[in-house]
Amino acid sequence: MSEIEFRVPLGLGEILQDAVYREGSHEYVAFGLVSHASLGGRDTLLLCQVLSLPESAYRNDLKHGATWGGMAMVPVIEQAMSEKLGIVLFHAHPCHGLPSFSDDDRMSADRLLPMFQQRVPTRPHGSVVLSKTHASGVILMPGETRPKTAIAVRWYGAAISKWPASDEAINTSDEPIFNRQALLVSRPGQVILRQARVAVVGLGGGGSHIVQQLAHIGVGEIIVIDPDRVENTNRHRLVGLTSIDIWLKRRKADVMHRLVRRIGTGSKCRRIPVRVPEPLAVEALKEADVIVGCLDHLHARLDLQDVAWRFLIPYVDIGVSIRPITNASEGDPRVAIGGNVITLIPGGFCLWCCGFLSQEKLSLELNGPNRGYFQGRAGEAQVVSLNGIVASQAVNEVLQLLTGFGGTGIRRRDVAADSNGSNQRGFKKLNGITGTLQEWGASRRSGCASCTTALGRGMLTWAAAI
Amino acid sequence: MRQEAIEQAIQDLGAIYGDEVQSAREGSQTFVRLKAIELYSTCRPPVTPMLLVFDHSQPKPFVYVRPGQLLANGRVPKTSSTVLIGGESWMQFSFNIPWTEEDNIMRFVAAARQRFAQDE
Repeated sequence: MSEIEFRVPLGLGEILQDAVYREGSHEYVAFGLVSHASLGGRDTLLLCQVLSLPESAYRNDLKHGATWGGMAMVPVIEQAMSEKLGIVLFHAHPCHGLPSFSDDDRMSADRLLPMFQQRVPTRPHGSVVLSKTHASGVILMPGETRPKTAIAVRWYGAAISKWPASDEAINTSDEPIFNRQALLVSRPGQVILRQARVAVVGLGGGGSHIVQQLAHIGVGEIIVIDPDRVENTNRHRLVGLTSIDIWLKRRKADVMHRLVRRIGTGSKCRRIPVRVPEPLAVEALKEADVIVGCLDHLHARLDLQDVAWRFLIPYVDIGVSIRPITNASEGDPRVAIGGNVITLIPGGFCLWCCGFLSQEKLSLELNGPNRGYFQGRAGEAQVVSLNGIVASQAVNEVLQLLTGFGGTGIRRRDVAADSNGSNQRGFKKLNGITGTLQEWGASRRSGCASCTTALGRGMLTWAAAI
Repeated sequence: MRQEAIEQAIQDLGAIYGDEVQSAREGSQTFVRLKAIELYSTCRPPVTPMLLVFDHSQPKPFVYVRPGQLLANGRVPKTSSTVLIGGESWMQFSFNIPWTEEDNIMRFVAAARQRFAQDE
């Protein structure tokens, strides 16, 4: 596949568009610092930072849309070298449709890209022009001399907004089985669902509900990840489980595969019967459009968060916790039922930012110096109906991310939970006694190590040590 | 570990393993990957990449090998598990390696290799 995809985290898209769509006496440019990864066989550029030039750096030149002094790029190049990131020059032709990458743009790219490549040879570099709906330009991958020119863009905001690499009209779905669902997600939305790939990690009481619903809504491919085999004690909560599965000790992934097939809406199911972060599972996760985690353990969530942040993939986390209240008065609830549905959009708050993960909590979960000493949470209370509440909301979140039925904006305000916009929605807490899911919201924390070191960084960039 | 000690360790590894040594940095951590380390001949596989992670806040590096590495007797090392480091899967294992930053890093690597000659 020769197409390149750009992934732009929440917040950075806004900065980039504000920089290049600015109106003035000349065109404006912005420099994107990028890492890259091969995700599902496709070269993917992951935007990490956007840097603009000060007005004083531009020169008056009527022959070109924008001209700037070479020295103005020194801080950009230095930062790219220090962080080992590629440089992509952006400008805009704010029209609709595929913008033309002019001869002037090409000549400028021919001059700049080899220079960028010389400074950071291990990363891609490029020059891209944005319209209001598409992107075109040239991207030079490391070690390649022939640039790639088909560029798709994936903007993260309230939903995933995809700009296609060509201006061919989007095919609209005409699958009658989804007629009533399409009233919510729209016909193009139904096509997006059909083309989507969602990974579900953990196929127990929560994950099995989610797989079932993803198949009902017609998600193209559901990647089911879990190494476990079913047991008799799963019978009360694992959706799709039969007595014979227990007798044959079938893998949960196989049970989910059969469940998807029997629903018969055309969804495919890929089975990955290993634990995250085994290599096979990590490679499968990297291909997903959205990851849904239904896991008991914080360490497993830490791994999903890491993959999601490095490769810019939205991650929806669910969990339910039922704990007895030992000193409850007669007539009062005997249990506290809590839970969460956390929607993590790359560039927004992460599990560390919202306090769900902390070093103290992770240490408590271990029983020794490393994960080999880990002890599970078997024996905790589980009820199918309570799992179903958070699972259904997680599928709503996936629907929103993929189809944007609740709004598709790429700006931070589009995901704001409160009126001043400082709190991002996406952290819902369950009160199982009152039967409510309440939006708590959370904010990205400045100085968060996960957001500063892992977001959009892909794999480590190795260099010769001597 | 002090930055000078980390740099010295990388230099020492480079002097022995040459092109087989690669390094990367992320945040406060320095990663060193040794492309192929020979283990005991009956280990499966007998050669593994090894990852050393140096951190200023830790007195010695963390060490990892390729997931699925078996001991010389064909067993899975006790209290081992797979972890994600820099977006890649690695196997961590339990082994107390007596080492300080004044020691040569090769002593640390040799002790890590020795772990796979043990019975469990």
